[in-house]
Amino acid sequence: MSEIAEAVAGGRLPGRLWMYANYHCNLACTYCLTESAPQVPRRELGPTRMVEIAREASELGFTDLGVTGGEPFLLMWLPQTLAEMATHLPVLVLTNGTLFSPKRLARLEPIRGSSVAMQISLDRPDPDANDEMRGAENFAKVVDAIPRLVDLGIRVRIATTVESIEDAELDRLCALHRQLGVPDEDHVIRPIVRRGRAVDYRLGVDAQRDDLPAELTITTDGAYWSPFGPTVHSGVVGTDLLITRTTSPLSVPANALLRLVEARPPGDDMTLNIR
Amino acid sequence: MIAVTAVRLLAAADAPLLAAPYYRGGDPGPIVRSLAHVPELLEAAMPFIGVALGPSGIPWRTKELVIVRVSARAGCRYCVQAHTAVALDAGLTRDEILALRLAHDFRQVFTDPRERAVIAWSDAATSLTPPDPQTRAEAAEHLAEHELVELTVLAGATLMLNRLATMLELPTAPSTLARLNELALA
Repeated sequence: MSEIAEAVAGGRLPGRLWMYANYHCNLACTYCLTESAPQVPRRELGPTRMVEIAREASELGFTDLGVTGGEPFLLMWLPQTLAEMATHLPVLVLTNGTLFSPKRLARLEPIRGSSVAMQISLDRPDPDANDEMRGAENFAKVVDAIPRLVDLGIRVRIATTVESIEDAELDRLCALHRQLGVPDEDHVIRPIVRRGRAVDYRLGVDAQRDDLPAELTITTDGAYWSPFGPTVHSGVVGTDLLITRTTSPLSVPANALLRLVEARPPGDDMTLNIR
Repeated sequence: MIAVTAVRLLAAADAPLLAAPYYRGGDPGPIVRSLAHVPELLEAAMPFIGVALGPSGIPWRTKELVIVRVSARAGCRYCVQAHTAVALDAGLTRDEILALRLAHDFRQVFTDPRERAVIAWSDAATSLTPPDPQTRAEAAEHLAEHELVELTVLAGATLMLNRLATMLELPTAPSTLARLNELALA
């Protein structure tokens, strides 16, 4: 058993490993960590590399994979790649859920019946409030797509990213996700983190290293402490949560992360609910 | 004057996690702040640089002869300026430093045959060919084998830093420049 596997099994290291599939997006949300938008540099990991990372992660002892962006489903090759990754470890892919019109659903065929789940952003139970930060028609597209994804047999989680939400509004949001076919255990609520574009809009909370779970995150720019690490501000990818530029072999950043984690004071767990 | 470098010199707030320990004592200087872009390289390089250029079995003064000489021959402004200040601290005189910096024939200024051998060996280390027989004989007469190994690695490490500092246009600390200006050694 590798040191990584032992640390994961012992609960000293989170089991999930993240990849940034790309940095471009069809949306330009005001709280976006990565300043993603249609025309930004794409920074694509590529399908071969993503499957290779999945294989290495499995061999090292990680237990599951996360894929984020950008909007990963802008990549035409993504569904097939996710299916190949899922032969190694279960995959959770984060998406804005706006690219699943009926004619595009056929593209998802490779992931049907595989260990690939989707996490879709839905912040508010009302179109106007939801779309204020995420862009026009976002709400309509998401609530339209989710039942169709569920019908395809794809597990869908909903992520609500907010500065704060009133109880009544949350109740309506939960009623909505249940109505869409997403159970309570697949609804996560998380704070806006003040990195990336959120800095410019003065949104969210500051998060330091020890506020964030040590989930190894691989990008074209290197390996980071958490998916909240490789953020972009003023076009520059942050370095404060960079671990190593080396990402292959994966053992190099994984062992460096473990070294950093084990130097943390005992009991020094995260204080923010950032997942 | 605002120094323009080829890469950003990472501030403490941007220091990668593996680089953060090097910032705990304050500004770690432009070499660390540039190498911090590749933290695993910084982690490996700093212990090596520390052993190669720092205190060891070879006297401080002797090591500075090599560093200043090699840096001067490599045309590294940053390393020459930074190590002129260090060489002064190590006890070298202004004339000795100017000779190392190619302003005079070093054999006119340095009379100790061991130091002459060290400087000639440093010159050889910056050429693309093996040392000539005279340099080799002079070194063999005055330096032990382990000293030759260490001084050669020191010359190589200095050349590596010369290239880093020159290519990235690292800025000399204003306090160092002020000190050198007072002595007309900038």
